[in-house]
Amino acid sequence: MDFSFTTKEEEFRLELRAWLEGNLPEGWLEGISNVSKDEGEYAVSLRNWQRKLYEGGWAAIAWPKKYGGREATLMEEIVYQQEMVRVKAPALVNYVGIHMVGPTLMQIGTDEQKAKYIQKILTGEEVWCQGYSEPNAGSDLSAIQTSAVKDGDRWIINGQKVWTSFGHLADRCFLLARTNRFDKKHKGITVFLLDMNQPGVETRPIIQMDGQHDFNEVYLNDAIAYDAEIVGEVDEGWKVTIALLMHERTGIGAQVFTLEQQFNELVGLAKELKEDDKPLLGNPLVRHTMVDLYTRSRGSLLNYYRNLTKTLKNGHPGAEGSMDKLMVSELTKELLSQSISLQGHKGVLWKEDAISSNSYWQDNYLYSFGQTIGGGTSEIQKNTIGERILGLPKDMGR
Amino acid sequence: MDFSLNQEQEMFRGYVRKYLDGAGQTKTARAYIEGETGSLRALLSGLAELGCTSINISEDYGGMGLGPLDLIPVLEETGRSLLPGLYLETNALAVPLLEKFGTEEQKGRYLAEIAAGTKTFSLAWLEPGGSYGPFGINLEARSLNGQLILSGVKTMVPDAELADHYIVLVRTGKGNRNEGITLVIVDRNETNLTLESQKNIDETRQLSALAFNDVEIPMGQVLGAMHQGWDALQEGLLSFNAALSAVIVGCMEKVVEMAAEYAKIREQFGQPIGRFQAIKHRIVDMKMDLETARSLAYYANWALESGAEDRVQAISCARIFATKAFVRISSDNIQIHGGIGFTEEIDCHLFVKRARFYENYLGSTEQYYKQAATALGW
Ligand SMILES: Cc1cc2nc3c(=O)[nH]c(=O)nc-3n(C[C@H](O)[C@H](O)[C@H](O)COP(=O)(O)OP(=O)(O)OC[C@H]3O[C@@H](n4cnc5c(N)ncnc54)[C@H](O)[C@@H]3O)c2cc1C
Repeated sequence: MDFSFTTKEEEFRLELRAWLEGNLPEGWLEGISNVSKDEGEYAVSLRNWQRKLYEGGWAAIAWPKKYGGREATLMEEIVYQQEMVRVKAPALVNYVGIHMVGPTLMQIGTDEQKAKYIQKILTGEEVWCQGYSEPNAGSDLSAIQTSAVKDGDRWIINGQKVWTSFGHLADRCFLLARTNRFDKKHKGITVFLLDMNQPGVETRPIIQMDGQHDFNEVYLNDAIAYDAEIVGEVDEGWKVTIALLMHERTGIGAQVFTLEQQFNELVGLAKELKEDDKPLLGNPLVRHTMVDLYTRSRGSLLNYYRNLTKTLKNGHPGAEGSMDKLMVSELTKELLSQSISLQGHKGVLWKEDAISSNSYWQDNYLYSFGQTIGGGTSEIQKNTIGERILGLPKDMGR
Repeated sequence: MDFSLNQEQEMFRGYVRKYLDGAGQTKTARAYIEGETGSLRALLSGLAELGCTSINISEDYGGMGLGPLDLIPVLEETGRSLLPGLYLETNALAVPLLEKFGTEEQKGRYLAEIAAGTKTFSLAWLEPGGSYGPFGINLEARSLNGQLILSGVKTMVPDAELADHYIVLVRTGKGNRNEGITLVIVDRNETNLTLESQKNIDETRQLSALAFNDVEIPMGQVLGAMHQGWDALQEGLLSFNAALSAVIVGCMEKVVEMAAEYAKIREQFGQPIGRFQAIKHRIVDMKMDLETARSLAYYANWALESGAEDRVQAISCARIFATKAFVRISSDNIQIHGGIGFTEEIDCHLFVKRARFYENYLGSTEQYYKQAATALGW
């Protein structure tokens, strides 16, 4: 057993740290994040951040050198995640492009597609979103109804997507549409690289329960895509979708480290909050709950390390990723719920009236409800674990 | 980064599992419940032949000189088969105590015996008052003519009848909180020592009350410094709890396997019950508990072996999580089995009972919560 990072990995960490110190927005490291309340300005700042990452060589570290990456090892990606979490770096607006679309195109895109899209993903010139979910196709993605009908070298696309994160900022969408109806629902789906800036695409904001606007409805009314914008084969988009999901190899890492960080902050909160002039953390009931949470948070971090070890040995991630996602998202929700409980009645004070700085706990608490849904609900993760890891019989619907 | 047991450790696990499977897994435990101890003794000497008893004993005393992580495969496998007896107490409590605090003479005698697999240890700690704290220790040890005279009562001594030696917590002085307590080694066949067995819900383990009626032992039987036994015990308990977590992981692994296997073969409403999510998701929750217990236990043993700064919290958390999760999932296992799960015939109940045995074993759950919080600096 060895929990250390190699000298090379530590050097990599220091290099990144130094870069972050010089390039994060002013005051950021001191905890002053002047995020604009204006949506347009905020979007511009996120794009600028992506551009800065690119210029510093930190935009897509896992990519091959020939596409502008660093060919970072999995461990270097872990270090990267740790450091980004440590400084609470601004959101990566082109997450979908960098972690999913880019690598998928490198794997199965045509030469023309590679030339046309990959560089722009890296620089942040083109931001991507993913258009999978529809009003009647959530957990059951194969139920999508959005249709694409061939018309010469073009396809005419009609339908509606929903919960499209970054859709309002995106230039392009990795879109699933039905091109054919077969008995098998998974067949007859095709992946398009849809241009979002066209009259047939209308994006409407959906306001989330945390008051934020990250995701959207996307209406497709005779939107146009060309043959050259199809990834893989017509009707075989399911395979492409699976391939794309396989590229999301370190997403959980960041969440595990965020969980660890938030736990430490929760301890800080329990020390800061007073009950009869004594820190709440001295209260035996609070200590008990906190030890429980600590134990499980540590457990999920260590589970992650154990799965990471497996991945490093096998060369590819396994179904254990579902276990990490399930545990981390559920625990995050619980931890943040505890943060509100600790504050007592004042836990409901929000925004500028919140007792903690910047409404940090309230905002994160509300946001956490999305984490056990987005990227596949906890129930679906349990089906996956039950079937793929424990070998239990398949869910009736599938 | 490498968070896994190494190849040799996994290979060794393979040998131990094969051996215990060959003996019919829980068959030995069931025979033991019936009062038949012959097959247990045979099995234990087989394990000793495989080398299980000498793993963490210094080479000078006939051991392999390996560490806590090397013990994990054996601990897990004995957990899987609910092995009765004192392997855990002997190798994970007495051995580290002897290695760290034993005199040359004690080591030469006891460690060599343990390594050879011929002798086992138990711990006589609790007294009728029931307290786990230092104030609960009242068994009196008077010095007289270069000897110690022990008088008083110990209860809930694990497998006293199987043990050859006991580590006994005795009161040698008033002292403050942690002082005035001494650890002494007492042989079972000491005169004036009587044993009375206590009924135990987990019949795969025994509990006994020991009455010391002026038991005379030479000073050479004192383990560690006089009056400083409490602190020594805490050291020993770190090793013990790291190891206990690993035993429980083995138990839990078997429980999850039982549940998953049964859910695949038992059909109701024309379906295997494992297709119903009320069942499937519950087994997944059990699996999550198992893997979390395993990660925490491996890390705890690594922290112990490497003397990591966070070892106390790592070990207490591993113990807390494992004991609680084991109770939870072994109970769920009965529910998943339905009516047959409630019978004596199927192993389900044996695991629930063992889970309860471990829950407050050598320290209460609450005490370990406190220990963790203190270690975290809260
Ligand atoms: C923050 C966030 C960001 C998102 N971003 C995107 C995005 O960028 N692009 C995109 O395409 N989508 C996105 N989604 C959508 C997300 O993938 C879906 O919300 C999710 O897959 C669930 O689908 P649904 O909302 O239709 O719920 P449903 O599938 O209707 O589920 C409702 C309930 O039924 C349960 N359920 C459904 N099927 C089963 C089953 N077989 N067994 C047991 N229980 C079941 C679910 O677990 C859930 O509790 C995002 C969602 C969130 C919350």
